[in-house]
Order: sequence, then structure tokens, then C-alpha cells
Amino acid sequence: MQDNTQVAAMQEKTTVLEVSDLNVNRANSVAIEDANFTIHKGDYVGIVGPNGGGKTTLLLALLNITPRTKGTIRFFGQDIESFSRWEKVAYVPQNAINFDSQFPLTVRELVSLGRVNRSNLGRTLKPPDLEAVDDALEFMGISDIANRRIGQLSGGQKQRVFVAKSLVRNPEIILLDEPIVGVDAKTQEKFYKKLSDLNIKKGITIMLVTHDLTAVFCRMSKVMCINRLVNVSEITEDLKPEEVLSKVYGEHFHFVFHEHKCKRVFEDE
Amino acid sequence: MNELIDIFRLFGFQFFQNALLGGTIAALACAWVGLFLILRKEAMIGDGIAHTAFGGIALGLFLGINPIFTALLVSILAVLGISYMRRKGLAQSDSAIAVMMAVGFSAGLIIISLAGGFNVELFSFLFGSILTIDQTDLIIVSLLGISAILVLGIFYKELLSMTFDEEGARLMGIPVRSLSLAFNLLVAITIVLSIKVIGVILVVALLVLPGLSALQLNLSFKGTTLAAICFGTTSMITGILLSSVYNVATSGVIVFTAAGIFLFTAIYRRLE
Repeated sequence: MQDNTQVAAMQEKTTVLEVSDLNVNRANSVAIEDANFTIHKGDYVGIVGPNGGGKTTLLLALLNITPRTKGTIRFFGQDIESFSRWEKVAYVPQNAINFDSQFPLTVRELVSLGRVNRSNLGRTLKPPDLEAVDDALEFMGISDIANRRIGQLSGGQKQRVFVAKSLVRNPEIILLDEPIVGVDAKTQEKFYKKLSDLNIKKGITIMLVTHDLTAVFCRMSKVMCINRLVNVSEITEDLKPEEVLSKVYGEHFHFVFHEHKCKRVFEDE
Repeated sequence: MNELIDIFRLFGFQFFQNALLGGTIAALACAWVGLFLILRKEAMIGDGIAHTAFGGIALGLFLGINPIFTALLVSILAVLGISYMRRKGLAQSDSAIAVMMAVGFSAGLIIISLAGGFNVELFSFLFGSILTIDQTDLIIVSLLGISAILVLGIFYKELLSMTFDEEGARLMGIPVRSLSLAFNLLVAITIVLSIKVIGVILVVALLVLPGLSALQLNLSFKGTTLAAICFGTTSMITGILLSSVYNVATSGVIVFTAAGIFLFTAIYRRLE
């Protein structure tokens, strides 16, 4: 069923993220309970689940923004409390594109901010930084709008700009929280194509929160179902989507999966 | 024609040279800091700290020490107080500013009444007296102004990053809390150095109007910063020149020029 599953399998199974016995509270109630999972290099993980199920809370806990009540999180074998290579972990938040449209930034300036980190504090960006910005703009197909103000962009363009901003720091894993909300189907297709390119051509591990279940089962290598409890399944020919999904969406949930549509998406690419 | 001759003659006077140099440094620092304040939606912190500094000025005059130093000390304490109240959840940003402003201003009033009333010098700090800047004032204004401009220049990209997306900047390892505090101290320094130039009451105009005018032009961040600095210094120089020739209040003309530029840029945006 999956092209990129095979690609991921061919790559060395390096552990990128390891979560053990994780508990996270939100507003004095348990949002994530006893989560245990491992994400390997090259995985393309779709994170699904009902609203309020804990998807965003999990991402924020992984980034050490939301404190956990129990458990450990390790990026590249290092506990997040002592983890220092945060430039390897990129995050595109849920509300990234809801910025102040009057903010005076061009696309190139915004993407350049992705290169600003602790290591170059107080120093100007160097030619390799600027080359990385050009590469990210080109990869995401937004070189032609590099000098446009960000407030003048369409929803789809904004999303690509924010992925370019996260890409410019050469991350090994990108966490995206519902990046394709409120855009048309064609723009969504283009966006998924770019993410697949990132995953397959650049070998970047992707964890994407989405409600687009078809995209998850057509394009991704793993599905993470969250409704307080976290369940990760490898997407293989034998996996029955409705069985996995009914655990988080309830017994009466019915998901129609058109495999022929899935194939057509890959043929288009 | 006579006015033009008057202007050329003025350039020969030391007091006028001091005013132009001190004013330009203050305008530059104010425009740059002010643009960040507008984008951080914290423009009122400028007004709040300026009014708090009034208490410091009164204290300096009462104790017989340079009021700029006491104003700087009180302003820094005000910034730290606002920061503390916000961090500890004692008050939101606007309420914390209001508290500090009221405490600083009322402290000034108490000190004035203890000293036996208002005097001319205090009046000049309230409304500015750029044409009376002496060599000592110029050295203080230059040192504070150049320090502020240097810090802004060095941490320009980090400040921009955290102004646009504070959480994202924190994730990139940028020390957001320390830089926020440093920026607020910079605001205090910039306001204090501008008090002698434009006065406590109108310093907020020098902070806000150039940046607001530049934002109307829909430029890049770099372009907006340069335009804000250009508008700020133009307002300052034009204000000093016109007020000297026509013998009217300098701070008033500076603010009116800045407001005029804002009006033109707003019309330009409408027509664009």
C-alpha cells in the first residue's frame, strides 16, 4: 500500500524519538496516559484522533513546552531535559499562519528567521545561511514570491513558507500541527506532495497532526491514534484502517477507504 | 529668504550643533526601539515608563544630582517591576504599566511638594528643552543612544524572531526571557535619553509615530526599519530648524512634523 514505507524500511532503523510511560496533564485532567512509542528515521507518521484527544498536547510535551507529569522523552537517544540539538527538531504550530497580516516581513526574511538560533546569537547570518534559505525557498517552490510581504500570501503559500522556515535549519524531524486547514483540495495535494518529497528525498522524519484520514492511509508509513491513550500502528497491506480508527473514534465509527483513489494519488505524483 | 539665512547662521552656534546631534541620536534610537514596541503591541510601555521617569527627575532635582541618572534608575526599576508583575501573574501588561505610571508620577508630585513647588528646570523635563542641551547632556545622550543602537544592531535578528513568534524563538534556543528584559531596559534607556530632547509628555510620539508611518509603506522589515529611522530623524531635524526660526516650542513642532509624515503615508497607502 505504501511507497514510502518501503523507502523507510530500506533506511537504517535509527531511533529518532523514544517515548516511555508518558503522562501529560491539561487543565488538571489527564490528556496523555502511559504513552509508549518509538519513531525511527524516515518514518512519516499521521497523528489522528478526535478533537480534545491530546494530539497538540502530545506535540507540545515532545517539545518540552508543556510539562509532563510522568515518563521520559528522548530525541536521538538524549533525554529532552539535557537535549541541546533542538535545531534538529522543527515545529510548525497549528496557528502558524494566523499571524498579524500587517507584520512587515517578506517571505525571504521570514524563512531566514529559521536560521536564527543559539549558536549564532548576536552574529549576522553568513553566506551558508543565505544559501540554505535559497535552497529551502526553491525546494518548497516559493522562490518566485521570495520578496512578497507575508501578509499578501494565500493560505497555501503561507503553509509552504512556514515549512520552508522549519526546513532551513536542516532538521531531522519535523512536527506539523494541522498545517492544511482551510485550503482547497488542489493546494492540499501540492502540500502533501512537498511533504512526501521531504520524507523520501531528504529522509526527514515527519509527524503530522491531521484530520485527513485518507491522506494518512495513502501517504504515510505509520498512524498514531490518540484519544488520551496513544496507539501507533505501521501502515501495511494487512492493516485495516477502520479497526485502528474505531479505537479512538468509537465503535460506531465507519471509515470508507478507497484503495483505487490512493493509487491514483501516487500515479499523479 | 531671510529665514534661510537665519537657518545657515544657526549652524554656527554650539548650542544648535548640540541640539541637532543629540536630537538625531535620540530620534534614531526612538524610531528603532519604537518599531519593535509597535510590533510587540507594547507601545504604551513607552508612555508608562516616561511618566514613571518623571518621579526620577523630581528626585534628582530634589537631591541635587543629575536628573538623567535618577530618571534612568527609576525607569529601570519600573521596567523590572512591570516585568515582575507580568511574570508572577500579578497583573496583565497594560495594568502593570498603569500601576508603575501612577506610582512614579505620584512619587514625583510628592517630591515636588516637599521641595516647595514647581521650578523651571522641572518644566523643561516635562516638555523638553533641546536647545539648552550642554556638552555634559550631549555626552550622556550620545553614550546612552549609541549603546542602545549598538545593542539593537547586534541582537536585531533575535529580537525580530521573538517579536514575530516568541514560542518559536524559544524553541530555537534564543534566550527569550533575557532578551525581553534587555529590550525593556533598552526602552528605559531610550526614553530617558529623549526626555531632555522632547520631554516626558511627548516622548511616546517619537517612539510610535515614525514606526507607524513606516508601516504604512508595506515594505520589508529592513525597509520599514530604515524608513522609520529616516522619518524619526527628519521630524527631529525639521522640528529643530522650524522652531528655531519661528521661535515656537521645539518638541511641539517635532511631534507635529512626525504626525504630518504619518498623515502623508496614511494617504499614500489609501491611494496605493
